Amino acid sequence: MSSTWMTTRAWLLMLPLLVVMVAVIGWPLVDTVGLSFTDAKLVGTGGNYVGFDNYTNMLSSSNFSRTLVTTTLFAVISVAAEMVIGVLAALLLNQQFHGRAILRALMILPWALPTVVNATLWRLIYNPEYGALNAALTQLNLIDAYRSWLGEPGTALTALIVADCWKNFPLVALIALAALQAVPRDITAASLVDGAGPFNRFRFVILPYLAGPLMVALVLRTIEAFKVFDIIWVMTRGGPANSTRTLSILVYQEAFSFQRAGSGASLALIVTLLVTVLAVAYAALVRKTAGSAA
Amino acid sequence: MSALEIRNVRKNYGSVETLKGIDIALQSGEFLVLLGSSGCGKSTLLNIIAGLAEATSGDVLIGGRSILGVHPKNRDIAMVFQSYALYPNLTVRRNIGFGLEMRGVAADEREKAVAEAARLLQIEALLDRKPSQLSGGQRQRVAIGRALVRKPQVFLFDEPLSNLDAKLRLEMRTELKRLHQMLQTTVVYVTHDQIEAMTLASRIAVMRDGRIEQLGTPEEIYNEPATLYVAGFVGAPSMNMLQATVQGTMLAIDGAEASLPLPARFRGAVRDGARVVVGIRPEALRVAADAAAPSLPVEIEVVELTGPELVTTARIGSQRLTACLPPASRVAKGQASSFAFSEDALRLFDPDTGKAF
Repeated sequence: MSSTWMTTRAWLLMLPLLVVMVAVIGWPLVDTVGLSFTDAKLVGTGGNYVGFDNYTNMLSSSNFSRTLVTTTLFAVISVAAEMVIGVLAALLLNQQFHGRAILRALMILPWALPTVVNATLWRLIYNPEYGALNAALTQLNLIDAYRSWLGEPGTALTALIVADCWKNFPLVALIALAALQAVPRDITAASLVDGAGPFNRFRFVILPYLAGPLMVALVLRTIEAFKVFDIIWVMTRGGPANSTRTLSILVYQEAFSFQRAGSGASLALIVTLLVTVLAVAYAALVRKTAGSAA
Repeated sequence: MSALEIRNVRKNYGSVETLKGIDIALQSGEFLVLLGSSGCGKSTLLNIIAGLAEATSGDVLIGGRSILGVHPKNRDIAMVFQSYALYPNLTVRRNIGFGLEMRGVAADEREKAVAEAARLLQIEALLDRKPSQLSGGQRQRVAIGRALVRKPQVFLFDEPLSNLDAKLRLEMRTELKRLHQMLQTTVVYVTHDQIEAMTLASRIAVMRDGRIEQLGTPEEIYNEPATLYVAGFVGAPSMNMLQATVQGTMLAIDGAEASLPLPARFRGAVRDGARVVVGIRPEALRVAADAAAPSLPVEIEVVELTGPELVTTARIGSQRLTACLPPASRVAKGQASSFAFSEDALRLFDPDTGKAF
């Protein structure tokens, strides 16, 4: 069989998928780029060409910089916490004990539940009148009176981060647990004989096997956290006083609440660019980790 | 005082008894090989000595001190694994020095010890490489270096040559022998390879079903096998075993018109009419030239030249016999011949108990 035919056949087989991708991703993307250079409203005419005005306005607005800081805080803290909790959970679930299989299955539950369900559960827990968190903390004498965790700008972002960690640490734990199974028994035994304690054993024996898979989890989770929308929308809608407004929420508000389609499009493209830069940087990091582990 | 003493060690996994009471005492500098097929319990015993598994009962002493319940790192042992078990992200230098590093030995002292081990194993040029950049043989040298550098009382080897190809295995075997002769350390070495056991050991413990079938020097194991199992397990090709019956002062070979004189040392030990198994090593057989020595009439079936010898399979009545003959021997397929042997080479076993007379 000639290589030309092989190439042609490969393209033919991929064609249906390519058509769908161009239709649902390519065309809207091109359309968004066009839209971002206009002052178009959500409804009505196409709007007028305004050059880079949307971009310069957006990048120089205090809304954007504040939102970028909030998004970065949310992404960095929640992903870091998820990684630490996920790895610790995996290490525990990798021990031999009765009921391990049940616990492993239970752990996946928060991640398997739809985000909306998770967010609603956490809204109930944080509820200022009958929430479980308030009840627990007052009964432990840690707070005097019930508080509105999601209603105060000082605590809302932290409360969201906790909810997001709860939802997403099982993914990290699952990936880490799979990687832990790959640590050869002999190497662990050798480190015991060599006298490595739990910390050194983790650092020198286990971590090299975890690094590659964890890097993949880190990439996936950071990109997702940077684009976060649903959990925040359900729990706080970006409030109070915009203290939990992330970039995706800002895009939504700009394009749909304020109906400024052109400006919203420019912001959406800025977010896309930021995420792409992150993705490329991480991909390089993953390749490097995989290379050094081999 | 023994360097290592194993006292009535038993190990159960649930209702399965993998070790059924093991007793061994090793003097300092002895090289003990635990030899047996898979599942005989030899690796379990090694893991119990290392502290990687707990004995159900019994005791293990190193230098007179009981080490049951003592953490592996405090047992004064070092272990070499079949899979090398090197730390993949550390250089050879740090792999070898890892045990010292974990014990808080100062860097310059560590460096000196690593350099010395590397010199002994001829891997000085590899010290800055990662394990992934090494061949199987080099990795095993590093693993041995990691054990050497600690200067423990007892070295444990768990089938260390099994992952190497045949040529490298031979080289490393000689290397291990050289190291042991030089360092005179106490070694417990697990293998299923009887050649490794014969060449390396100062004593061999042949294990079967969680018991020691025979414990002795390689010469004793080879020349005076205590049971049919040991006789069949050690030696390649394995010992010939002919079914026979005692008839007065003669041994009548079953299913053949042949008989041998019963050697004087067995008279009294076996009763007249008893069924026995006659054991003769293939190496003890030669083509009969005169009538002086006892001999067996045979018909040659297959002749295989291996280079140094002619492995000849022959029939004696309904039974088979293998002989390792000099390559110049005049034997041919289908030919009737006669195999002679010295009376001393003959062993007798009880077919019911499997024990030697």
